Amino acid sequence: MSSEYKQVKRMTTTGRIIHWANAISMVVAIITGLYIGHPYYQTFIADGAVDKYVMAWNRWGHFIVAIIFDVTSVVIAYLFFFSRFEKAYKKVIPTGKNIAEFIEVVINLATLNKRKKFDSTHSDSFNSVYFLIFHLLLAWMLLTGLQLYVSGLESGLSSIGKWWPWMLHISTDWTRVVCGGTIMDVRIVHHYTMWYIITWVVFHIYYQVWRTIFWKEADIAIVFGGSKFVKEK
Amino acid sequence: MSDRIEGVKKLFTSKSARVETNKGESYYLDLFEKCQTRLSELRASQPANRLDFSGLLNDNGIDRRDFMKWVSATTAMLMLPPMFSPLVAEAAELMNRAPVIWLELQDCAGNSEALLRSDGPKIDEIVLDIISLEYHETLQAASGFQAEKQLDEAIETFKGKFLLFVEGSIPMGMHGQYGTIGASGETFHDHLMRVSKDAAAVIAVGACATFGGIPAAAPNPTGAVGVMDVVKGKPLVNIPACPANPVNMVGVVMHYVLTGTLPELDSLLRPKFAFGYRIHDNCERRAHFDAGEYVEEWGDEGAKNNFCLYKMGCKGPMTFNNCSIVRYNEAVNWPIGVGRGCIGCSEPDFWDKYAYERPMANAKIKAPTGGVEKTVDEFGLGLLTAASIGIGIHAIASAVGGKKDDGGEA
Ligand code: HEM
Ligand code: SF4
Repeated sequence: MSSEYKQVKRMTTTGRIIHWANAISMVVAIITGLYIGHPYYQTFIADGAVDKYVMAWNRWGHFIVAIIFDVTSVVIAYLFFFSRFEKAYKKVIPTGKNIAEFIEVVINLATLNKRKKFDSTHSDSFNSVYFLIFHLLLAWMLLTGLQLYVSGLESGLSSIGKWWPWMLHISTDWTRVVCGGTIMDVRIVHHYTMWYIITWVVFHIYYQVWRTIFWKEADIAIVFGGSKFVKEK
Repeated sequence: MSDRIEGVKKLFTSKSARVETNKGESYYLDLFEKCQTRLSELRASQPANRLDFSGLLNDNGIDRRDFMKWVSATTAMLMLPPMFSPLVAEAAELMNRAPVIWLELQDCAGNSEALLRSDGPKIDEIVLDIISLEYHETLQAASGFQAEKQLDEAIETFKGKFLLFVEGSIPMGMHGQYGTIGASGETFHDHLMRVSKDAAAVIAVGACATFGGIPAAAPNPTGAVGVMDVVKGKPLVNIPACPANPVNMVGVVMHYVLTGTLPELDSLLRPKFAFGYRIHDNCERRAHFDAGEYVEEWGDEGAKNNFCLYKMGCKGPMTFNNCSIVRYNEAVNWPIGVGRGCIGCSEPDFWDKYAYERPMANAKIKAPTGGVEKTVDEFGLGLLTAASIGIGIHAIASAVGGKKDDGGEA
């Protein structure tokens, strides 16, 4: 029986590490972000304000995961174009072939797997587009988040040098205009985008589980072991 | 959209938000000389009124020592090194060489109120008293044709030299007919355009004149806009806040008298010396913010202990202004000091976007989809519910009628 199945490598170790780093960071970002937006628990510690540091720790946690997102985003953006393993950008270019495959994947989902007319061995164009949307949302979160962050660096100084706030102004000041003109708009949009990401995640998890159950190709294993299994033809 | 694109262009071409507090020795030595020449020129010129500054100080019971303290503080506020103090003191005395015309448009006159402060004027107000106020629509005795004549004369005499202070927004709806002034029924818009044409510089004071303020709040029935939206091609300074702090008005005039130029501005045309810093970063309650100690409701234990007002809706984290440093009424107190949160009055659109007195996350605001106003989390949970219902239906349908296929029929 097992010999009939072929193992297809789908995710590199780096890819999987990044995936789980992102997943954990996302949970932390949401928990701390919601606290920053509206501190939803009170501090019961009887110490004076100088000793406890509840909001500050939440902000610290939020910014640490922001750095993780920053770094992994750069790596992912690089791999998107230059990976030796699977150049994902080739799947999101709207060529006739990709569009046809995209539609077939949607039909497969809509017909509850009664029709499956595409090769599910490789990463399909629907998934590629869906992941691209995630990375765009995340990039947007980074840009708006960094814009909020740099407004606290008025002196133009930072512990890592003057280049850092300078670079943040150059690269994120435009988000303020795009969001509606004020720093508050950036904050509102930052918060809304969190909900778009959460909604994205919910469907993402559902769809991966659904594929695993209905396609019977162990898709869920990709993100753990790096491979899925397809029947030999 | 097109004005947003314009805005992006402007941002990229404007200097960064960075506040440069030390520009280097040679810069200040140069500036010092420039200021000296400028002040001696001013001294030689004819004062526009006969008000005597030291006499006024005496009359109000302010001694030399108080004055010198004020001079040091003002020098520091303008981000000038201490060697400029004597020049600042001199400039204060020469303020009556700066002709000012003050227009009052669609607003509550709160900025005029702020600078009058009849109950015991402090040095800032006295300095503003002796500037040569050639024409002030709210304060002058003249009215009707007489007032118009006075304005024409002032414009004529000080053509290209006077500073134009504008208070209040400009209603653009109904061809500007929401606000007219004078015997001829000139609209606020035409009035502003006519006077600003001959001004050396325009200084918009208060939230209304800078960004439209409360008159421009949704649904903005009069089509109110700020001065910078209509006056183009003139040096323009915005001194927002509701009301604008007299300290900052003095700062800008002082800078002008001293150097003959306007202070360095940020991308919203606000002087950086006043609006370069966030309230939150200089707030006396900041330690409580970081500690997670918040006032939960008015008058609770936290309130009695000066806890942070973030959960009561303080907008200090999103507001740039110097009231956490210079405060109001000669540093007597300021909003957060008296125990209520900042409402972001010096930011654009503050009434709609800042002043709802609860954290943004709890405020009912316009959702991206329109419709009833809801909080961001209500919108988000709605979105999530919709997605979950879709997923649930798909899951049940799949369980009932889905095909489990391990082959792939392609
Ligand atoms: C992608 C995951 C992220 C999520 C889910 C998230 C969520 C949130 C939320 C809900 C808030 C509160 C907004 C409010 O209601 O006032 C917030 C604030 C903030 N976030 Fe994020 N965020 C994320 C990523 C980032 C990143 C990458 C940065 C970059 C530095 C960032 C920086 C900030 C800052 C500076 C604030 C305001 C905090 C303050 O002013 O004290 N966030 N975030
Ligand atoms: S009271 Fe307002 S400005 Fe002060 S620390 Fe709290 S949130 Fe910041």
